[in-house]
Amino acid sequence: MSSPHGGLDDQIERLMQCKPLPEPEVRALCEKAKEILMEESNVQPVKSPVTICGDIHGQFHDLAELFRIGGKCPDTNYLFMGDYVDRGYYSVETVTLLVALKVRYPQRITILRGNHESRQITQVYGFYDECLRKYGNANVWKTFTDLFDYFPLTALVESEIFCLHGGLSPSIETLDNIRNFDRVQEVPHEGPMCDLLWSDPDDRCGWGISPRGAGYTFGQDISEQFNHTNNLRLIARAHQLVMEGFNWAHEQKVVTIFSAPNYCYRCGNMASILEVDDCREHTFIQFEPAPRRGEPDVTRRTPDYFL
Amino acid sequence: MEPAPLSSLKEEEPTGEDSSAFSAAAVPPRPATHSHSLHKYAPLDWSSYFDEERRVAIPGTDDVRALGKQNPQGLQCVHSRIGGPRRVLPARRRLLGVSPRCGLLPVNPLTCFTGELRVALASLLNFQSTRSGDFPPLGHMLNAEMLQSNCFRFVPETFAIDLYSWLSFALAANQMKGKARVVAMDLRGHGKSTTSNDLDLSIETLTNDVIAVIRTMYGNSPPAIILVGHSMGGSVAVHVAARKEIRNLHGLVVVDVVEGTAMASLVHMQKILSNRAQHFPSIEKAIEWSVKGGPLRNTESARVSIPSTLKYDESRECYTYRTPLEQTEKYWKGWYEGLSEKFLSCPVQKILLLAGTDRLDRALTIGQMQGKFQMVVIRHTGHAIQEDVPEEFASHILNFISRNKIGPNGVEIPGLIKKWGH
Repeated sequence: MSSPHGGLDDQIERLMQCKPLPEPEVRALCEKAKEILMEESNVQPVKSPVTICGDIHGQFHDLAELFRIGGKCPDTNYLFMGDYVDRGYYSVETVTLLVALKVRYPQRITILRGNHESRQITQVYGFYDECLRKYGNANVWKTFTDLFDYFPLTALVESEIFCLHGGLSPSIETLDNIRNFDRVQEVPHEGPMCDLLWSDPDDRCGWGISPRGAGYTFGQDISEQFNHTNNLRLIARAHQLVMEGFNWAHEQKVVTIFSAPNYCYRCGNMASILEVDDCREHTFIQFEPAPRRGEPDVTRRTPDYFL
Repeated sequence: MEPAPLSSLKEEEPTGEDSSAFSAAAVPPRPATHSHSLHKYAPLDWSSYFDEERRVAIPGTDDVRALGKQNPQGLQCVHSRIGGPRRVLPARRRLLGVSPRCGLLPVNPLTCFTGELRVALASLLNFQSTRSGDFPPLGHMLNAEMLQSNCFRFVPETFAIDLYSWLSFALAANQMKGKARVVAMDLRGHGKSTTSNDLDLSIETLTNDVIAVIRTMYGNSPPAIILVGHSMGGSVAVHVAARKEIRNLHGLVVVDVVEGTAMASLVHMQKILSNRAQHFPSIEKAIEWSVKGGPLRNTESARVSIPSTLKYDESRECYTYRTPLEQTEKYWKGWYEGLSEKFLSCPVQKILLLAGTDRLDRALTIGQMQGKFQMVVIRHTGHAIQEDVPEEFASHILNFISRNKIGPNGVEIPGLIKKWGH
């Protein structure tokens, strides 16, 4: 290695070409990432300027497009709000790249945990199978899902923009409530940690049972009270596909940001990122899918509907 | 992908015949006792799983208009009767299918009814204790019905085609005893239901049938209901829910049917149907086939459900399918077209159970990613999830019911309201 970061820079360069790292390199990288992430808070403080991004879901080429449009890391500071894996065809490359950037530029990029950064969900929605396919065993999947336990759950930009993957929890009134619990575990099926990663804002007031089967729905009254209690200007979250790439709710107390264009290669939606500049001004940048070069066509079982 | 031709399945033990065991020509004389292995595939009676079997005749009211139109015989008589458990005697096994002689039919259905549909109820004995205890629901499975104050109606089998009858839900219903009441129903042309036109499997008619049965059973004050439909029955459940005519409907459970993949597979269906084993020398052989290359993976469930999907063909002296699906092709498209949007539009809590893999179409992918319904992928199971893994299936249904607790004042979230209350 010619420089302290030579190996890492080389890895990032390979990853930027959508080439996965060998298993031992992934393991070493995740060890370093764990040391960095375990020092971060459940409510990780972030300074502006920063560009806030939503779900990626293994759409590597769209992540590359995001960096083209938003600026390269570390020239631009980034805050990702989870869901790096599953559904898309390049979960391995996507999450490895983001973790490598985190290790290389720990002060320049923040990576939060999404509901898909979980052992259970990744076994259903593709990341597990992709690891098996690309490495021939589940070691890399295990390495990453063990690392996911250390990802911070939320971030706070300049003490006024509260960022997280899902939404609010009826068990959480203040940011200190979040700071106080032990996050290093698999995403539970219920409780405050689950809610932060699963809840959605809703047009109806109050709390509601989420149709998703986990978390809650929360109304404008809830958002207003939470923001007031915690001196927040805005809740920025991801988790829901929005056709324009971003969507205001609750009279601009909540915004949804989704950064996987044409989600699942079939939804036809725009993606967006939110730039928060030095003066804390917001600018949304929308983008479309990167040009595709023959992405694999996944064959699906034809069910015997009559049998 | 088409399954391998199944009609040439070998029997486990030689029977001295050269041709396929399932061809009409190969039918041995009954009773078929040529193999000790048959014991393993002997039919099982429903009464171990359901408490009651009931015939629901569709009355000649306004509800029947649609039916009446398609059934010129008209119907005036409303007849509902509850039968006790019946024993299935070997000598009468062939009557298990649709013969009006079997079971409880004291009258000729064609003279009195335009149609009658069979339902079965489980856990009736637990009804009182359930209601007074802490258990959430008392279910009625018409393949579904539920609520905190309880009832779980499963509009079951109803919704399943061909190989499925209400007995398709027998094992799952049994798992839910004491926690939810399950009402399972045979759709028109299936199981023991008889109508004047069993071939009219149009989505409109099937939807009308289910609504008519629910109305006949409960009148204007149905208990809280959850509709559960499997496969094409899932499509019927969606159409019933989307009509918004069932009062007190609180949930919709759709099992392994997605418009995108269903529509794509329609072109293969005639081939798939004709590749099935068509004739069975005995019910045991049909059960055996169903779990050895056929659609099921759970022998116990097959022993309960398969007999009701068969009928005895006197002329050919063998068992064949009770529902002539290949003659209903003109309705197939209607079962699935627009299903995803319709599902998303149903104003109740929804869960989609999928077998094996996530294969949502565009509308459902967007809907799921916007948090509009719950999706559960169950691995290591065939298309008939409720039959292959009844325990897991039942636990998903029960979790869905208890999670979506609906109390007298709407959604109640214990402990939270107080905290935030204002």
